[in-house]
Formats: sequence, structure tokens, C-alpha cells
Amino acid sequence: MSFSLKRINAIFQKDLKDLSKNMYIGSIIVLPILMAFLYSIGDGETPILLHYLVINLALSSVTAFIQCAVIAEEKEKNTLRGLMLSPASLTEILTGKSLVSLILTVVTIALCMVITGYEPTNLPLVILAIFVASLFFLALGTLLGLLTRSIIEASVVILPFIFLFGFGSMAKPFIEEITWLKFMEYLPNSQLEEIAYGVEVGAGFSDILENLAIILVWVLVGVILTIFVYKKRELD
Amino acid sequence: MENVIRVEALAKVFGNQTALENVDFQVEKGETFGFLGPSGAGKTTTIKILTGQLMQTSGEAFVFNIPTSELKKGMHRKRVGVLTDNSGLYERLSIHDNLKLFCDLYEVPRSRIEEVLDMVNLTNEKKKAVSKLSKGMLQRVLLARTFLHEPDLLFLDEPTSALDPTNSKQIHDSLRRMNEKGTTIFLTTHDMTEAETLCNRVAFLNKGKIQLMDEPKKLRRQYSDNTVIIELKDGRELKRTSGPEHAQEIYQYMMDDQIVSIHSDEPTLGDIFVDITGRELV
Ligand SMILES: Nc1ncnc2c1ncn2[C@@H]1O[C@H](COP(=O)(O)OP(=O)(O)OP(=O)(O)O)[C@@H](O)[C@H]1O
Ligand SMILES: [Mg+2]
Repeated sequence: MSFSLKRINAIFQKDLKDLSKNMYIGSIIVLPILMAFLYSIGDGETPILLHYLVINLALSSVTAFIQCAVIAEEKEKNTLRGLMLSPASLTEILTGKSLVSLILTVVTIALCMVITGYEPTNLPLVILAIFVASLFFLALGTLLGLLTRSIIEASVVILPFIFLFGFGSMAKPFIEEITWLKFMEYLPNSQLEEIAYGVEVGAGFSDILENLAIILVWVLVGVILTIFVYKKRELD
Repeated sequence: MENVIRVEALAKVFGNQTALENVDFQVEKGETFGFLGPSGAGKTTTIKILTGQLMQTSGEAFVFNIPTSELKKGMHRKRVGVLTDNSGLYERLSIHDNLKLFCDLYEVPRSRIEEVLDMVNLTNEKKKAVSKLSKGMLQRVLLARTFLHEPDLLFLDEPTSALDPTNSKQIHDSLRRMNEKGTTIFLTTHDMTEAETLCNRVAFLNKGKIQLMDEPKKLRRQYSDNTVIIELKDGRELKRTSGPEHAQEIYQYMMDDQIVSIHSDEPTLGDIFVDITGRELV
């Protein structure tokens, strides 16, 4: 498998430039930032739950949606074919694209954290956790991007995921009551929150290892599904 | 002679529809090979199989003696240039930025951009966003992109279908120059004049089967009924077989200084096609 930094960079540069001119996809960044502003209104300390509503919304709407929409658009406009007929491997194409989504994620989450005034006790640990979680959302976006054929389709398909992962924490009170909703505690967004709560009461790296491992399992599942779908769709 | 494309008993079935059936042909190095046929004949399907975008149902297809399903490796990709009717460009980016991306992907110097833009007559337009281009311009950008890495083998699916005669001619000149430098060209077209001027050999495909394959000149001769058309000064146009049976009559017109022109009535490729398939080209 080829892995050329030059080609990854070429795809990264192209996608960054293209996205900067794409109002439809680009404006999604406003969503979590607007949310952050809403939650920061009023005095007193913003609870962890609200910080993570914003962060999880950023992960599902910025990381996953942008990745998904950018791939779907390449299919809609018949440009993915050109990339795949070139010497660029799928790994190179997806790495270039993921870097763009990741950078936008970093910018959005950083802005949101400033707005909501989130200052975790152990910042490096929280950053690590968010990074691992963002890998899952990248895989999710890639998977949905490969499954959809147009931006419009992508925008619809991503919605339930934005609800599940972005607003899932709002359902917390119900999760504790209804047993079949218990699985939601194992979703990456819930695990991320658990890590955040832990960090505030002094948890160290070894304490959050289990949560990180659960998120990593999600990453793995996402990647395997993506490879599987790609292999099936490689030919028309 | 080394063959660049080899196809044996190739077949492709979509659901219950047969797109290709028992197709056999070879294209030799340095040839310009024309793949002709009406809409739906299976031309694009053949190109897709040869470029690894589609798997055949049965039969074999080799490019550079490699099965087309194994062409994915980067080093082979660099030897092949593909223009299909569903190739797309990044609409929000300029012509130049589109080509720049492919320069980097194929690892050719950026100076190639100016060269290919010149080949397709778009040098002055390079800053324009692709979304603002006309259909003919789009096709020329796609051609420029296909030429960028100087491939050994070009697959061109109706390369001049959206072009005006001047631009078509310029593309033909470019193709001829590339061919002289050793590029093998596989092209489909509905334009019989294009096929006659560019191709060393043509194959007529109809309903997924090759009906006829040879040099255009030989085909025309083979399908000619040996008649000449004589145009006379009084406006009459006579059709006569070119054998001795009419020699005396024609001689007399000549002696009487009656003749404006005499030309052979060889069929065009289009005539031959209609003849063997009973269908007009679209
Ligand atoms: N993906 C597909 N699924 C189903 N049928 C297909 C598919 N692609 C092509 N076909 C069918 O295969 C046949 C050959 O199509 P193809 O596109 O190869 O024709 P063509 O010779 O390129 O025609 P044109 O000159 O109009 O471009 C057609 O009947 C078409 O409907
Ligand atoms: Mg076609």
C-alpha cells in the first residue's frame, strides 16, 4: 500500500481550499458555536454536561458531517473516480480528507471551549480523550460518506447520528430508568463525558483507560465497517 | 509487435441485460484504435472494464499484459490516462487548481500545467472557476488533465463530443503528436470523420458484439461498389461503374470537354456502419 506525504498534502490542500469556498458544508461550524454561546449565557459555572453537549455536537456535526458530506460530494460530482484512477491510494485520499475535518474540529472545539469557559483540571488527558473520540466520528463520517451518493442524502443520513451522539446526553435521566437504553452509556459520547467527570475528581491516565478502550473499540468497529463497505463499492 | 490491450471473449451482463458479448480484439503499441458504435453498444462499458472501474462477467482483459483487475497499483496508473463521459472536476476551484492537484498526484512538475493548457487552447482561462466554464471548455480541461502525466496509453471516451470544429482540430493535432511520440490511443466516437482521420484501425461494435474490424481505408475499399460519380457542365450527375463497360461513354464526355469532376463513390465509415447494422449512428 502506497503512502505518499506529497499526495496526501495535495489532497489536503485541495479539500481545504474547496471547503473554504463551500458555504453549504462550511456553515455547519456555526451550529456548535451558536450552541456554545447559548449555554454560556447566564451566570454561574456551566456544568460539565453542557460543555459536552457542545463538544459532542461539534464532533458529530463538524467532524462526522463534514467528512461525510465531502466524500458524498466527490461521488455526486464524479470527482472521486478521477482520484481513484490516479496513483493516489484510498488511504492517501481518506487521510488527506480526514486531516481537513480534524483541523476544523480542533478549531471549532477550541472556540467552543473558550466560549463556554471549559477549563478541565487535566487538559492533556481531556485532549487525548477528545482526539480518540474524533477518530470514531471520522470513521463514522467516512462510512456514511461512502454509503451516500449526494450532499443532500448525506445531510439527511447524518441527522439521526447528530441526535444520538450530539444530544444523547440530554437523555441521561431516561437512560437510568429504562433498561434497554442502557447501551447508550457505552456510546463514545457518554464515555467521553465519563472521562470528563473523572478528570474533575482527580482521575489519572490509568483511571480512564477503560473508557478510552471502549471508545477505541468504537473506532475499530467504524474502521472495519468502512473498509468492508469500500471493498464492496470499489467497482460500480 | 507488442500489444498494449488484449481482450478475449469478453462479456458483461448487467442484471438481465447483456452489454458485451464475446468481444475479442488487440491494440498494438503506437496504434490509434477507434471503437465505434451506436448509443448503448457497450463502448463505455469496455473502457470501464479496461481501466479497472468495472469487472467483466466473463472473459479476459489485459492492459500491458496485466489483468485489468490488477491495474490498481500506482506505477500502472501513471502509464494510463482516462477520459470517460462521467469524469468530473472540482467546480469551485479554478482550472489551474484542478490541474495542480493532478500534477501532484501523478508526481509531474507543475510546469506541465502550462504545456497541457496550451494543447487544449485554455491558457488565458486558467484562473477561471470550473463552475463558470462552458461545456466545451470543461471537456478541454478534462482532456488537459488526461494529458498531464504523458501516459503511454490513452482511453478517450468521445473526447470531442462537445467541441467546435476549430477546437476539435486542435485536439486532433495534439492527439496525433502524442501518437507520433509513441502514445497508444483507444478512442470511442460518434464522429466518423474523426475516426477516419485519426485511427489506424477501427472496430464497429453493435449490441455488444464486434461486427467488423480493420483499417478505415481497407474497409472503405471492401465496401465500395466501384462506382464513380461524374459531374457534367450541364448540371447532370452520373453514377457509373468504373470498369471498361463505361469507358467509351466517359471518354466521349472528356473529349467533349463536358466534365466538371469525377470522383470515386467510396462509402464513408458512416455508410458502412449503417450498412452492416441497419441503424443510423446517433
Ligand atoms: N451500470 C449499469 N447498470 C446497468 N446497465 C448498464 C450500466 N452501464 C451500462 N449499462 C447498459 O449497458 C449497455 C451499454 O452501455 P454503454 O454505456 O457501454 O454504451 P455506449 O456504447 O458507451 O453508449 P453511448 O454512445 O451512448 O455512450 C447499455 O444498454 C446500458 O444501458
Ligand atoms: Mg458511452
